[in-house]
Amino acid sequence: MAAAEKPTKEKLLSTLDDIEVLSRELIEMLALARTQKLPQPGEDTQILELLVQRDKEFQELMQTAMEQGRVHQEMQTLEKEVEKRDSDIQQLQKQLKEAEHILATAVYQAKEKLKSIEKARKGSISSEEIIKYAHRISASNAVCAPLNWVPGDPRRPYPTDLEMRSGMLGNMSNMSTNGVNGHLPGDALAAGRLPDVLTPQYPWQSTDVSMGILPPHHGNDFGLEPPGHNKENEDDVEAMSTDSSSSSSDSD
Amino acid sequence: MATAVPVVEEAEDYSFLPIIHDVIKCMDKESPDVHQELNKLKTKIQEAREQISAMPGIDLSPALQESRLQTLREQVQTKNQLLQKYKSLCMFDIPKPS
Repeated sequence: MAAAEKPTKEKLLSTLDDIEVLSRELIEMLALARTQKLPQPGEDTQILELLVQRDKEFQELMQTAMEQGRVHQEMQTLEKEVEKRDSDIQQLQKQLKEAEHILATAVYQAKEKLKSIEKARKGSISSEEIIKYAHRISASNAVCAPLNWVPGDPRRPYPTDLEMRSGMLGNMSNMSTNGVNGHLPGDALAAGRLPDVLTPQYPWQSTDVSMGILPPHHGNDFGLEPPGHNKENEDDVEAMSTDSSSSSSDSD
Repeated sequence: MATAVPVVEEAEDYSFLPIIHDVIKCMDKESPDVHQELNKLKTKIQEAREQISAMPGIDLSPALQESRLQTLREQVQTKNQLLQKYKSLCMFDIPKPS
């Protein structure tokens, strides 16, 4: 087995060089023989035979070279096809990567959703309880004004100054001057105007009632005044009405 | 017939013997065209060199070129099969939104 066969180009050039050298030698030998008129022993025959042999080799090599040229064209066509296939495969790979990314995102989001569902399931509360709390919160009119609330109504969704003073803390500090200030609890003012159903039941008032600080008939001793006519209440209302959310600033 | 003729002509073109024969004949006749024939020979040899340098695909031996050709053919076949396989994979049936 010949190791590393020579490329065809190298062989062709080598053969061509041989032909050139041999033809030159042959011509020089013939020219010399003619001038010297000496017959050459047969050297020119040897050169001629070699020249013929080289010429034949050259022709065969040229045929091989032509054939290799055709094969080279086929190889170029195949290389273009390979390039095109590579491009298609890369395109498919890119699409696969995109699909993988989309699926990974979807799976992650689904897992997060499942976690939320599990968490909600563990901390589930009955709907009745939630509705009960909603009733309690909205019963104090803290989320929505009463249906018959009008500007000037001293009722607020938070404890007013008057109500704070008539509460536990207020009474503790005003123990010595009880009954002089003339302040009335908020629900006593409204008692004469509103039916019991609509009387606001503030959470802090339920505590006051249970403590028994203000018996309800005391409110009647002071008389019932319509909302907005008690100057001090009005001042309180006006002071509190400076809040942007309040709408009773122009009650008078 | 038409295709056979060019092949024969190409074979004759690559032979230097006719020109060498003409040179020797001129030398025998002591013709003044000897130099002209010699120049023709030199020119032909030079042209042959240039043609050989410009021919594509002869930088490899025939055996090596054949093996590379086989490799390329196998590559193309493999990649065709791969693409065919991927394109004919089970595709997801995406339900159209009604």
